[in-house]
Amino acid sequence: MNDFRELENELRKLRPARPSPALFERIGEALKESRAATAADSSLERQGFGKARHNWWSLGFGLAAAAVLILFAVVTIERRQEHRQTTAQNSPASETQRAPAGKGSSMSRSRFVPAGGTNVVFNARDEGLHFAGGSERPVRQVRYNTQQTWRWRNPETGASLRVSYPSEEIVLIPVSGQ
Amino acid sequence: MEPIASHENWRNCFSEVAPGLLLFARQWVQSAADAEDIVQDAFIKFWRRNHDIHNRGLLYAAVRSLSLDFIRRDARRARREATAMAEAEHAVEPHFELQDDTQSALAAAVESLPRDQREVLVLKIWNDLTFSEIAGALGISQNTAASRYRYALNNLKKTFQPQ
Repeated sequence: MNDFRELENELRKLRPARPSPALFERIGEALKESRAATAADSSLERQGFGKARHNWWSLGFGLAAAAVLILFAVVTIERRQEHRQTTAQNSPASETQRAPAGKGSSMSRSRFVPAGGTNVVFNARDEGLHFAGGSERPVRQVRYNTQQTWRWRNPETGASLRVSYPSEEIVLIPVSGQ
Repeated sequence: MEPIASHENWRNCFSEVAPGLLLFARQWVQSAADAEDIVQDAFIKFWRRNHDIHNRGLLYAAVRSLSLDFIRRDARRARREATAMAEAEHAVEPHFELQDDTQSALAAAVESLPRDQREVLVLKIWNDLTFSEIAGALGISQNTAASRYRYALNNLKKTFQPQ
């Protein structure tokens, strides 16, 4: 490097251009603003920490309440299932025997008997001949779209229950050759 | 009330490093005003994060990073500036305070160096960084920094003839 000492000295004599005075002013302003912003940030952070702590408490209480509700729901469901099992075991007896008045009357009150059903075909489509399931004999496939309705009635209370749903039925009719 | 001690502190610190920082920024950005903007941003970031001013490599790395961001962000403007600079033969905004023809010739020789050599030279001569600090600022090895510096001086010696 000694070979370059003279050159390095010459280079050091070169003075880089100075920054404009406005740059000092701008930096001063920016630092002042950033100090204010930092102070505001740290105050917000402190508030945020308090708020976060408050939120953690809320979350804890919320979770505890949810856990209690879930536990309660599970216990209720289990009790209902036990009750249903008891009802299912008792039902043959209740069909053959007259329900006693008083305590058991609620069971007979909730008994529904089938009252009828309808099956309304609202569309039938002939889908032609097919060889169903690798069979050698052709079958004619007819598709029926129906609306099935079933009704139950409680003879004691007169209440009725109706269930209606659409259904699709495919009928395969064997075709015999003459 | 303004804390006078810290105010004086940044001013003293910036007065010391500003010319070298600006010169370094102008290795990428031709306009002195843009270079000042970059140096301002870098210095404020550096100062706000309470970096140790003796860890200067970080400050120069910040200037370099912001300069490269500036070029990427405003590529069209950079091309326009490069064209303008090529046409103006670097005469619009000198990088140095020139006192005589010898210094003009030397400055021209410096500006004709390849960028990778020139940035090491700028950091070494006008910013007094060690090769270790230069390596940190530019993301190169210390040996690479030293060899680029040697190449730069070699090239200058060939092209620069003292008058």
